[in-house]
Amino acid sequence: MANAFGIVAPSKRNIHVEGMQDYRPLAAFSFLGRYRIIDFPISCMSNSGIDHIQVYVTSNPRSLAEHLGSGRHYNINSKHGKLQLLFSTASSENDIYNTDVRSYMDNIEIIQRMNQEYVVIAPSYMVFAQDYDALLNDHIESGADISLLYQRVDNAKEHYLDCDVLTLNKQKGVLSIEPNLGTANNKTIFMDTYVMKKDLFITLVKEASKISSMYTLSQIISEKFNELDVRGIQHKGFCAAITDLKSYFDANLELIKPEQADQLFNGDAPIYTRTTDSCPTKYCDGAVVRNSLISNGCTIKGTVENSVIGRGVNINEGAVVRNCVILAYSDIGKNVELENQVIDKWAKIGHEAKLIADADKPGYIKRNDVL
Amino acid sequence: MSQNNMLAMILAGGRGSRLKDLTNKVAKPAVSFGGKYRIIDFPLSNCANSHIDIVGVLTQYESVLLNSYVAGGGRWGLDTRDSGVFVLPPREKADTGLDVYRGTADAISQNIDFVDSYNPEYILVLSGDHIYKMNYEEMLQYHKDQNADLTVAVRPVPWKEAPRFGIMNTDDEGRITEFQEKPKEPKSNLASMGIYIFTWKTLRKALVADMKNPDSSHDFGNDVIPAFLNEGKKLVAYRFEGYWKDVGTIDSLWEANMDLLDSKNELNLNDPGWKIYTEDASALPQYIGPDASVDVAYITQGAHVEGSVKKSVLFTGSYIGKGAKVIDSVLMPGARVEDGAVVTRALVANNVKIGKNCVVGSADSENITLVAKNVKGDD
Repeated sequence: MANAFGIVAPSKRNIHVEGMQDYRPLAAFSFLGRYRIIDFPISCMSNSGIDHIQVYVTSNPRSLAEHLGSGRHYNINSKHGKLQLLFSTASSENDIYNTDVRSYMDNIEIIQRMNQEYVVIAPSYMVFAQDYDALLNDHIESGADISLLYQRVDNAKEHYLDCDVLTLNKQKGVLSIEPNLGTANNKTIFMDTYVMKKDLFITLVKEASKISSMYTLSQIISEKFNELDVRGIQHKGFCAAITDLKSYFDANLELIKPEQADQLFNGDAPIYTRTTDSCPTKYCDGAVVRNSLISNGCTIKGTVENSVIGRGVNINEGAVVRNCVILAYSDIGKNVELENQVIDKWAKIGHEAKLIADADKPGYIKRNDVL
Repeated sequence: MSQNNMLAMILAGGRGSRLKDLTNKVAKPAVSFGGKYRIIDFPLSNCANSHIDIVGVLTQYESVLLNSYVAGGGRWGLDTRDSGVFVLPPREKADTGLDVYRGTADAISQNIDFVDSYNPEYILVLSGDHIYKMNYEEMLQYHKDQNADLTVAVRPVPWKEAPRFGIMNTDDEGRITEFQEKPKEPKSNLASMGIYIFTWKTLRKALVADMKNPDSSHDFGNDVIPAFLNEGKKLVAYRFEGYWKDVGTIDSLWEANMDLLDSKNELNLNDPGWKIYTEDASALPQYIGPDASVDVAYITQGAHVEGSVKKSVLFTGSYIGKGAKVIDSVLMPGARVEDGAVVTRALVANNVKIGKNCVVGSADSENITLVAKNVKGDD
């Protein structure tokens, strides 16, 4: 058992995925057909022996509460483990006050009562696999006060634009945390993942809230580089930041490739999710399916290429779906043509509609919409 | 027992030797079916959906996997405070030695104490090797309305096939007047489905008497039901019209899987009002590769298809390599068909690997080819 409890941080305030986020927090976004984004941090924590996990939510908690349930499907022990959903009401005045620090302060007593010596904080808008037990051990061995997880990327001009970048010295000491302004392709992207002692975390949160009600955890840490030993630890393997519709769309399609998916899903550390007990998928006469990930419970009579299809989707005769992310229970009518679209849950597309968008600017069809 | 005062007992003791190597290590009810299910998911889900709280699973052959599979009952929602699934192998008791279950009725007789501990008014006796969806609560209502001692679920079969079944002869009101096991000249085409609802008090008495009868084979069909008829008890037939399949042989198991491909198939597994519950595999959605072709198939999550599939059912974690062809076949969980191999009219058992460029099964074989051992190929 790891000597740490886990925190899945609230949505970052500068991130907004057009359309989809009106219905649920980013953490509850459907991802890769049968998952939700939050399945990744929670499963990885659970697989790493972290069995006390706090999930912070500031708005639309319904879908998240329903999905997480008791946490049993994440293999969290029902007696000595705990999955907590912690609320903090979002400020109505201005989104700028809705910081992670505010969420932690609202629940500071609960944090203080945790028995573990360390805390591991992971974001709810990123998809990656991480052995947090190894991360915790690296942190303890290094003797650092705070460790930050980062990824080296070579496409930061156009991707990760709402993320922060770290500047590191040769000893992996962190010199700065700054927004990615897209000035260069090679960057060290901060994965919004922290390891530190619980007591230090509480001190920082309290201090940040005293200085300014707009302060975030990364901002207060940025002020402490002189006093604290803050180091970076490198993550390798697939990492996607879901910061807008395009990055959501791209991350889904990227993971169709088995060599990418293999970096996230390996047999020893499975990604868990809530089952809906849907039956297998039926491919009918006339179905043409290529290079796609298809969830259970679908009925496919048309053509599907380079797409990710959620549970219980109907693709009717003559329909052509290319480069699309289709969320659960949508119905794609006869002879409909879709290209580069994100179709939200329960949408019904009929009347031989033709929706073609550019891959750089995927289209979005709202939940429950009938076209 | 809070919901309808009926307890269910599933007879899952048989080895299912006609399923050959599929049941070498697991009992027949634990055999995989329909992509993601096991056979016993059907009676268990039917029980859960029919609001039955307590289910006993009577088993004696290779019960370890079955036991761990049903333990807790959470997969079927049978895990609230008043409900549960219990595996009941033969056991030694204070007044009797350890003995096998000598027959279907004996399996219940040896667990009278278990049933009594829940004090049910009715008991539902099922077999664990049939694929069907049925609302037992409606059958119970019929049993109550008829004020019956025993209600037997029956379904009409083609007259030609009637000699293969246990046939119930009924009067105009559906009262069973005669039971004939595999009659040469059947008087009715109503076949027993092996689903019985007894009023527990009546059955309990009959079982106690049956245990003492040295001439009895302790079987429901041979002994208990004829005795009920002789004693003038009220036996009624409950007609069931939906999909029902005995999957006792490799051919029939294959057929039942193939039925799922039929667009007119009556066994709709996609009915949100009557879900069949099963274990959840932590697996990615099914992957269909860039050069794959899928032409009429039933595929579940965790399957990986690079080659071509025609009229086949693919279970969790099955794999079809590049250029491989799977036609009219069933790939059980974890079965692998490597690059270039061709599988036709076959049932490939769990975790069996068909090597590169191997050819297995044939389109004009009389029976389905069961592949239960790895087939070495060019790799």
